[in-house]
Amino acid sequence: MRIIVHNAKCQGHARCWAQAPDIFKLDDDGYILPGDIQVAEGEQLLASQGARSCPERALEVDRTSAARFEPAAMQPRTGEA
Amino acid sequence: MAINPVPDHVPPEMVRDFSLFTSPGMPPTPNGDPHAAVACAHDGPPIFYSPYNTQDGRGTWVITRAADQRKVLQDTETFSSHRSIFSSILGETWPTIPLELDPPAHGAFRSLLSPLLSPKRVTALEPAVRERAIALIDRITASATSCDVMKDFAFPFTVSIFLRFLGLPDQGLDTFVGWAKDLLHGDDVERPVAARKIVAFIDELATNRRKNPVDDLMTFIVQAQIEGRQLTDGEIRGIGVLVFVAGLDTVAAAIGFDLAYLARNLKDQELLRSEPDRILLATEELLRAYPPIQLIRVATKDIDFEGAPIRKGDYVSCATMIANRDPEEFESPNTVDLAREHNRHAAFGYGPHRCLGSHLARREIVIGLEEWLARIPTFRIKEGTAPITCGGHVFGIENLILDWS
Ligand code: HEM
Ligand code: SF4
Repeated sequence: MRIIVHNAKCQGHARCWAQAPDIFKLDDDGYILPGDIQVAEGEQLLASQGARSCPERALEVDRTSAARFEPAAMQPRTGEA
Repeated sequence: MAINPVPDHVPPEMVRDFSLFTSPGMPPTPNGDPHAAVACAHDGPPIFYSPYNTQDGRGTWVITRAADQRKVLQDTETFSSHRSIFSSILGETWPTIPLELDPPAHGAFRSLLSPLLSPKRVTALEPAVRERAIALIDRITASATSCDVMKDFAFPFTVSIFLRFLGLPDQGLDTFVGWAKDLLHGDDVERPVAARKIVAFIDELATNRRKNPVDDLMTFIVQAQIEGRQLTDGEIRGIGVLVFVAGLDTVAAAIGFDLAYLARNLKDQELLRSEPDRILLATEELLRAYPPIQLIRVATKDIDFEGAPIRKGDYVSCATMIANRDPEEFESPNTVDLAREHNRHAAFGYGPHRCLGSHLARREIVIGLEEWLARIPTFRIKEGTAPITCGGHVFGIENLILDWS
């Protein structure tokens, strides 16, 4: 399982981190770090709960195991997706 | 009550007799439940027009669905925050910062302030917050089995933490609380007087910190640089006023509504007292059920939004208390379920202006409830008293006399 991170939508609520600080890493201002998150076997429930707690819908759960190779680029923090 | 003419472009069938200021339960009401009162917005169309829905009596579109509020608040190009809510009280038009700036200008100021209120920073503040809560509660229990929670706990607790954050001494507390009350819930005479006092106070503090820097927020602001320059006097004032107003009343109101709920629902009270681990999740549910703020945006262009013909200059209201009772977003929205999971409530707003103080506010509420429940036995609303609640831009609770004799 993988969590797709839409950085442009993240507004630093830190709800994902409150659920699972080891899975969802924040920068010093409290916004999620760029890059999709590969979820380890055993952590899937916690990861999907974290993703489902994001008020901005910035975290998308991808249950297919195929990994994407292009790293998610750093995007500006504007309102648009 | 002055009713504005409804603008011509608003179809008459989209107008509803609904107002966060004048509808039943919105003016000061003994034993009121203003949050439940506004939930009736969901009985009608998802978007409608309210002819009287701001402090100064303007009409607004009312966005009721959480999903639509998210769209509005995330789209800052169409829905601007520049509306001078504070300075218009003084007949002026400067923005409070970062609240009333739009991106991209908003971002630089927000980045300046966000490290000061980040989750990490708040974790470091926690021991001081807890110590303050315990000291206040111990003082109450030493001499009484009853108190006015607002006056004796909620305000002194939240405001003193906040004053420490600003770098101000505790002895100003009553004065500041008085200003905040007049500003948010006062009449047409009290509000400008309070606004003027707050501005004068912030200006003077800035001047003082420029001359005598110390380790506090105002010193940080007067010394800060954005885009390679110092801040202007106007910008410093805009930040100072916002931070002052944002943190003064909101957390206290939240704690007041939460304790009022627990005083009336003894099973839930006992559950949290005997299993304090539940308080973290319960706090989110109480923030969902009793959020204090209505957000206003101004349309920057004509747009047909989910069937509403919104025109440039129209005011758009995103009331967090309405979004948080949206049946499409929350199962049984009018039931308080302290174990509710996946609680993506709107109490702190959505989009780039998401409350910067949310991490601090959450910690204060959780710690306040933890210490209160650990130290005060079963409490009820004192017989013969009635908490007075009110609606408006910021929902409030004026008094809450609890009794545990
Ligand atoms: C339970 C308590 C609180 C609630 C419910 C709350 C709610 C909100 C909401 C809904 C907004 C968004 C306004 C908008 O988009 O127009 C906001 C913004 C803000 N809040 Fe809070 N707030 C609380 C406590 C605090 C505290 C304690 C502080 C400061 C220490 C604070 C500082 C701010 C700031 C600086 C902004 C502006 C952010 C920006 O424009 O980027 N808030 N708050
Ligand atoms: S919950 Fe969402 S908005 Fe908040 S930090 Fe995590 S990703 Fe960002």
